[in-house]
Amino acid sequence: MQDSGQPAVEAQRILDEAARYADQTPALESLFAAFGPVLAERARLRAEAPGWRGELPTVDAERFSQGVFVLADSGFQDVSPELPAAAVRLLPVMERAFPALAEELAALGRALAEGGLEPELLTRAAFSEAPVSVPGVSRDTLRFAASELVKPFIERQARDIIGLVTELPWRRGMCPVCGGAPNFSLLRKVRDESEFIQAHGGQRLMHCSVCSSQWRCKRVSCPACGNENPEELFNLRVEGRPFERADICRACKTYVLCLDTVEFVDIPDADVAALAMLPLDLLVRKEGYAPLAGHPWSPGI
Amino acid sequence: MPKAFLIDTTRCTACRGCQVACKEWKNLPAVPTKQTGTHQNPPDLNPFNLKLVRFSEHMVDNKVAWYFFPDQCRHCLEAPCKQASSVEGAIIQDAATGAVIYTEKTAQEDFDVIRGACPYDIPRQNPQTKQIVKCDMCIDRVKANLLPMCVKTCAMGAMNFGERADMLKLAAERLAVVKKTAPKARLLNPDDVAVIFLVADEPKKYHEFAVAEGPGAMTRKQVLAGAFAPFRRLARAMQG
Repeated sequence: MQDSGQPAVEAQRILDEAARYADQTPALESLFAAFGPVLAERARLRAEAPGWRGELPTVDAERFSQGVFVLADSGFQDVSPELPAAAVRLLPVMERAFPALAEELAALGRALAEGGLEPELLTRAAFSEAPVSVPGVSRDTLRFAASELVKPFIERQARDIIGLVTELPWRRGMCPVCGGAPNFSLLRKVRDESEFIQAHGGQRLMHCSVCSSQWRCKRVSCPACGNENPEELFNLRVEGRPFERADICRACKTYVLCLDTVEFVDIPDADVAALAMLPLDLLVRKEGYAPLAGHPWSPGI
Repeated sequence: MPKAFLIDTTRCTACRGCQVACKEWKNLPAVPTKQTGTHQNPPDLNPFNLKLVRFSEHMVDNKVAWYFFPDQCRHCLEAPCKQASSVEGAIIQDAATGAVIYTEKTAQEDFDVIRGACPYDIPRQNPQTKQIVKCDMCIDRVKANLLPMCVKTCAMGAMNFGERADMLKLAAERLAVVKKTAPKARLLNPDDVAVIFLVADEPKKYHEFAVAEGPGAMTRKQVLAGAFAPFRRLARAMQG
């Protein structure tokens, strides 16, 4: 998605895209109605987030080229101080989006507001680093809410960092910023300034499930095991959705969703586009393949 | 958000992929044509060719220079054809994209008035249905987030499409590059239209109606078109 940097514009674009996809796929209308406002509020928080504070990390080009991602040693900066204010905005949206979880989400909001839950513990819950319990909140709901709250802030930090390495070679399946696995990928056309005839295909970009950074990856290769044997790489689609596919590796039995955007006017938000691909997601799982990373709506993740 | 095209004629090789793709997507029938001594085929826009790559040859420094001009509706920001329209709902402008759309009701319009109002001589009339037709920005595709067919097909990067602000930025960048080798290079009516051409030489060398000259010519047409439209509407109402 083109990033305007303006909270209201980014949020509205997500809502518009969710509405357009819901029109195209009526079976998913309720899911778009639920997740659309959550993704939009996350986009507002992301656009207003502080980003990386202080000096940006130094990148050792040699280590990086050997596969050591930028934040391998330090991780993201602590986002805990931002969470109480973010919870006041995001949790009510989530309560409306997921009525079955409303009581638990309200209990989580109260615990955070009244000091029953330290923001640092919420951050750790998001990364599943420690077992955290909050009275009246199930473990799954806590993890879901925590990761939704933390995500805009680490996405914003990642946006500051990815610029450090865009010119450096990285063709691996994991995120060059945080080492996360991709839960989505896209083919994107890049304008070619040469005088020669231009290919109609696009570059393959992976999308990080943790920090939403995007990076180039070899087209005919498996991002999980590096397999480049065309006999073992194939894709599946669902009827009537020509721009959506799952890139599958027979060798390691994994897949990653892929959206071909070369014919698109605007590149949609990666989460909105991935939600529209849920029927494909389910089909590929039924065939016995596992995603490299999931989404909040992914079954069994 | 309003959309715009940048048609960079300096990158066009006149392959006519855009012309054929347009015809294919619109499922328009073949038309009788004739050899007129040029590769421009058919010789002009017609109700079944809404996009036409115009060819013109000129002697430049004792050498033959070929000029290519992928002609189409400019989707004017303040469309003179719309102002000249006397039938409610015949010519509409899509608020989201800025596309100027001719509907079935154009069959009730005075074709000569609508064509005469266009500074770029684009509208044509289907002789059977009497509908007036032209490029509709592939509005069916754009509403589905897909590029217009002419842009999707272009293999040289001559046809570009996107947010108006982005296209104006790209146009300014390309103009700066082209001007280094072609000092006469210019953008054609960038403030008035949504289809902005970049040409490397005098616009008239590309096509008689490549540019709406100055603000004067277009404004005069707009004023005249707008001024007479109410009378035409009245006359039509009286005729029933």
